[in-house]
Amino acid sequence: MRKLSKVAQLVAISTAIAVVLSGCSSSSEETTTDTGSVSGTVRVLMEGVPDTDIVSRLLAEFNAEYPDVKVEIETASYDQMRDKYVASFTAAKPTYDLAILDNPWVGDFAKAGFVKPLDALIAATDGYDYEDFTAPLRAIGESDGQVYGVPFYNYALGLIYRSDLVTTEPATLDDLAATAKSLTTANRAGIAMQPQKGYKAFEEWGNYLFAAGGTLYTDGKVKLTTPEAKTALKTYISMYKSSAPKDSLNWGFDDALRSVSSDKSAMMVSYNWMLPTLNNPEGDSGALAGKFKLATMPGGKQVLGSWHWAIPTNSSASDAAWAFVSWISSKAGEAKRVTAGGAPTRTSVFNDAAVTAKDPAYFETISKILSNAEPLCQGSNCDEMINAVGTELNAAFAGKKSVDDALAAAEKQANKIQAEK
Amino acid sequence: MSFRLRLMLPLWVVFIASVGYPLLYALYLSLTNYKITARYDTKIVWLKQYKATLQDPNFWSSLQVTATFVILAVFIEFWLGLFISLALQKQKRIRNLTRSFLLTPMFVTPIAIGLMFRFLLNQQLGVIPTFLDKFGLSYDFFGPGKAIFSIVLIDVWQWTPFMVLLLLAGLEGLSKSPFEAAKVDGASAFFTFRKITLPMLMPVISVAVLIRSLDAMKVFEYVFAITRGGPAIETVTIQYYTYQTGIQFYKLGLASAMSYVLLIFVMIIVVFLFKRIEANRRNP
Repeated sequence: MRKLSKVAQLVAISTAIAVVLSGCSSSSEETTTDTGSVSGTVRVLMEGVPDTDIVSRLLAEFNAEYPDVKVEIETASYDQMRDKYVASFTAAKPTYDLAILDNPWVGDFAKAGFVKPLDALIAATDGYDYEDFTAPLRAIGESDGQVYGVPFYNYALGLIYRSDLVTTEPATLDDLAATAKSLTTANRAGIAMQPQKGYKAFEEWGNYLFAAGGTLYTDGKVKLTTPEAKTALKTYISMYKSSAPKDSLNWGFDDALRSVSSDKSAMMVSYNWMLPTLNNPEGDSGALAGKFKLATMPGGKQVLGSWHWAIPTNSSASDAAWAFVSWISSKAGEAKRVTAGGAPTRTSVFNDAAVTAKDPAYFETISKILSNAEPLCQGSNCDEMINAVGTELNAAFAGKKSVDDALAAAEKQANKIQAEK
Repeated sequence: MSFRLRLMLPLWVVFIASVGYPLLYALYLSLTNYKITARYDTKIVWLKQYKATLQDPNFWSSLQVTATFVILAVFIEFWLGLFISLALQKQKRIRNLTRSFLLTPMFVTPIAIGLMFRFLLNQQLGVIPTFLDKFGLSYDFFGPGKAIFSIVLIDVWQWTPFMVLLLLAGLEGLSKSPFEAAKVDGASAFFTFRKITLPMLMPVISVAVLIRSLDAMKVFEYVFAITRGGPAIETVTIQYYTYQTGIQFYKLGLASAMSYVLLIFVMIIVVFLFKRIEANRRNP
C-alpha cells in the first residue's frame, strides 16, 4: 500500500510537471519567457518602399537581442499585397506570420477575424507606452474599442514644393491655386496632380476638401454635399485645367513624382516621406536634390494614411511576431528607424534631439501634419467606399458630371456602401 | 465499363478537376451572399445575386465597354493582320527574320505592355507625345471619349501578330489551282481576293476571329496598369469590374453571379460562331 502510494505520487508529480511545461510552451517553435528564449521564423510581406528597406537594415540589431527569431521579409508592389494577405489569412496553412495593414483594411480585417487583438500583448510588454503613438494613428489601428494594429509608419500627405521657386508657403486654398498658376510656364507645370480614377482621386482631393474647411464625416455619415466640398472640387478642377501637366487625367502617384523630380512640375501634394527621397543627391532628382521642402496643406489639415503591424489570427509564430513588432515599434526601435530615414509615428521622436538634429524643420512640419490629419475612411468597406467616391470625383474632373451631381452621387454611394454588412 | 468509355476516363478526370469543380463551386457561390470578410455569415440567397447583377447599371456599362473594345480591336486586328499576311506571303527574302520580328509583341506579358504604353503615352515625359509635338500635334490619349480607343490600339499592337500567324498559315495552305485559273481568265487582283482568297480562307478566319474575340473579352491588364477604368467608368471592362467586386471589395458571391451571366453571353456567341464555321465547312 505504501509502495503503491509512492508510485501514485511519482505519477502525479510527473503529470503536473508535464502540464506546467506544456502550458509554458505555446508551440514547439516558440516560447515567451524572455528575449533569449523567444524563437521562431516570422514571415512578413511588405511593400517595396524605403521604409521597408530601413526595417531590413535594422534586422541585425534586432537579432542581437533576439537571436532565435528569424524575420523573413518578402516584398511586393502595393497592388499585390492585399490579395496575398487575404489568401494567407484564409488558408489552412498561412504564408505570413506577421502582416502590415494599410489603413483602409484595418476595419474589414478586424471584423473578419483575420487579425488578433493586441491589447493583452501591449499591456504585458514593459515600457511599450502605446499612448506615445500620435492619437490619429492610434485611432486607425483600433476597431470596436480594441487594438488590431500598432503604427508602423505614417504616410500623411503634405504639400511638397520647390523652395527655389516658391518663396511663401500657400496659407489658403486660393493661395495654392494662385501659386500653382503663377508657377506654370511652357516647360513646367505649376502642380503635378493625381486625378486617376479611384483611390488617388479621392486621396488627393480630400486634402483640398480639408483646405477648404470641409470634413468627410458629419455625425458618423459621409457628408460631401457641403459648400466646402463644392468649393474644393471647383478649385481642384480649375487647377487641373490651368496648372497641372496637360492631359494627365490618368496620373497617379508615380507619374507626379517623376514630373516633379524631372523639373516638369513645381509642386505636388504627396506623402511626407517622399521629401528625403526627392532630396537624396543620389536619387532621381539629380541637381534638384536639396531644393524640395514640405509644408502642411493650406489650412493645416491633411489626409492621413498609415501602415500598421498586425498579427494574423492563423499566424504560426505569433509570439515571435510580437517580439519583433514590440522591438521595432518601441520608443527605442522607433528612434532607430526614424534616424535611418523612416516616417515617424511616435510623439517622443519629435522631442528627441538626436533624431531630429538632421533636419529639425522637416520634423517640425511632420509633427504639425500628424497632429491635424484624418483618414479617408472610418469603419468598414473602406476600399469600396474610397473607390466609389474617387470614381465620381474623376467623372467631375473629366467634365462628365457636374460638381453638384458628382458630389451628390459620391455621398449617396459612400453611405450606402458603409451601411452594408 | 466499355473500352471506349475507359479510354475517355483520363479526359473526364482532368475535365472535372480543372473545369467542372471550379464551375460548380462558382455556381454555388453565385447562389450565396459569400463575402470574404464575412465568411461565417454566408447564406443561400438563391437568385438574389443574379437579380442584383442584372439591375446593376455599372455591370451593363462594363459589358458595353467590353463589347466596344472586342469589336473594334478584333476588326482592326483582322484587317491589319490579313493585309500583313498577304504581304508576307509574297515576301521572297529574309522571310523567317521578318516573321520572328513581327511576332515579338505577342510574347510580352500584357501587364508589361500596359506599363510600357502608360509611360510611352505620358503627355509630359512620353516619347510618342514628344514626337507628335515636333509636328505641332497633340492628342490626349487617356482623356474623356478617347481612352477606350487608346486601349484598343495597344491591344492591336500586341495581338495583330496572332492574326498574322493564323492567317498566314491559312493562306499558305490554300490550293494554288483556283488562283492560277483566275490568272489565266484575266481576273483582277481585287476580284481574286474577294471571290477566291476570302471565301477559301473563311474557315481559318472564323477560327482566328473566334479565338481572338474570346481572348480580347478578357482584357484586364491594360485597364489595371493605365486607366483603372477611368475617365469616370469609360474603360471599366467586365473583367475589371468583376475583379473589383470579387477581389477588391470581397464580394465573391456577387462576382460569381456576374461571371455566370457573362458565361451565358459568351456561350451564345460561341455557339453562333461555331454554327457559322460548320456552315462554311459544309458549303465552302
